[in-house]
Amino acid sequence: MGVSCVYSYPVPEGRSGAQVVDLLQKQVEMLGGIKAGTFLVDCETYQSVMLNTPKTLHILHNSEHPASCFAILDSGATLVADTLFNGLMSNLKNYYQARKGAKIESKGQRFQLSDFILKVGSVSLAGSMKGILVEVEYCPSAIAADCWNLMKELLQSLIGGVAESPPRSLKPKMEEVYTPATTMLQYLNHFNNFRTAAAMSQPAR
Amino acid sequence: MEGPALAPSLKNIAPQQEYLLQGSILDAHTDALLHRLRGLCDNAESSFETFNDYEAVYMLRNSSTTQQSQYVLFRVRHALDIPDAPDHIRYLGQAEMGDRTRPTLVRACLDVACSSNVREFLTEMGFRMDHDYVAKGIFFHKGRMKVLVYKIYRLIQPGSTDPKNLEQLGNSHLVELSVVAPLGQEQIGEDMKTFSEQLKPLVMLEKFDHRRLQ
Repeated sequence: MGVSCVYSYPVPEGRSGAQVVDLLQKQVEMLGGIKAGTFLVDCETYQSVMLNTPKTLHILHNSEHPASCFAILDSGATLVADTLFNGLMSNLKNYYQARKGAKIESKGQRFQLSDFILKVGSVSLAGSMKGILVEVEYCPSAIAADCWNLMKELLQSLIGGVAESPPRSLKPKMEEVYTPATTMLQYLNHFNNFRTAAAMSQPAR
Repeated sequence: MEGPALAPSLKNIAPQQEYLLQGSILDAHTDALLHRLRGLCDNAESSFETFNDYEAVYMLRNSSTTQQSQYVLFRVRHALDIPDAPDHIRYLGQAEMGDRTRPTLVRACLDVACSSNVREFLTEMGFRMDHDYVAKGIFFHKGRMKVLVYKIYRLIQPGSTDPKNLEQLGNSHLVELSVVAPLGQEQIGEDMKTFSEQLKPLVMLEKFDHRRLQ
């Protein structure tokens, strides 16, 4: 486990998401990446009911940490727990209810490129594709500041200018020991952006 | 690496039930009970396994006035003697007493290990701390049966688990015999009854209806 950066890769007009994913995968293989299974990151969102101050709770899972569950509140507070935490949520259904049609996930191919793990995921919200997320993990390091330049070099050869600066949720933690919770925060940020974009593009009724 | 296929299967673990019998013994006679348990349980040759846990019970209430009586409790435990161990949330369902033929109390039970920021996290979710205590005692196991002999301590000043700040409650030790098993294994209740017979007359283990105590 090392440091991860997650970026959203824009789909240019006139191209389908699947085509771009294909292209990215070919590029990773050109760099020397070897296919190493698939991955899935999913996120379910719960809304508080009957509480004085409304709260939103996101429950995320990552196939990279199959026995864990990440619960993240709007404030960014993150609890890492066993996957059984889902069972606790079902006991809270009078207080926190799952938002309908808000389940969002990123899944796709996972590649190994010596010390790096690269993931090209297509993001789908309620069954329709919304975009592409590229994750690059540098395994030997645990401090983002130490390996950012190295990662940037690889990222730029793959996705170009999108990776100009470190991801927003990683920036304040560059000098700290990296934890998987930060990866999940990055995914959540992107997921929230995709959801907002999807809500905006829907015609007003 | 198993990939995504693993995650969904782990999310749906069969619901677990706790089968429970409880009793108490005066402090002066605890040693006799400990010796008997040592003989009856596994690992008789090794020394006693002790535990020293801080438990805080968190409550989530409906803020609408009509449903004030509704609430959910999460019990958060932390081992004071192993500070690096993860914290632990336990949810216990409504206790089912059943009729006379059922030997033990049965309740839904869910144990979830979690990171140590759980107290702040639950507070932020809207939970409030209801009460807390320290449980100190000895732990035995026989097969999948678990026997606890422990004492409950009150915190004199809230928030500090320093030994000087603890006050024992009562002059006896609590004794609990429990098994956590998947739904529908009634046989285990019989096994527990048989085991509890062997502890008589030192301690009488019974199923207690906690609702009647309030």
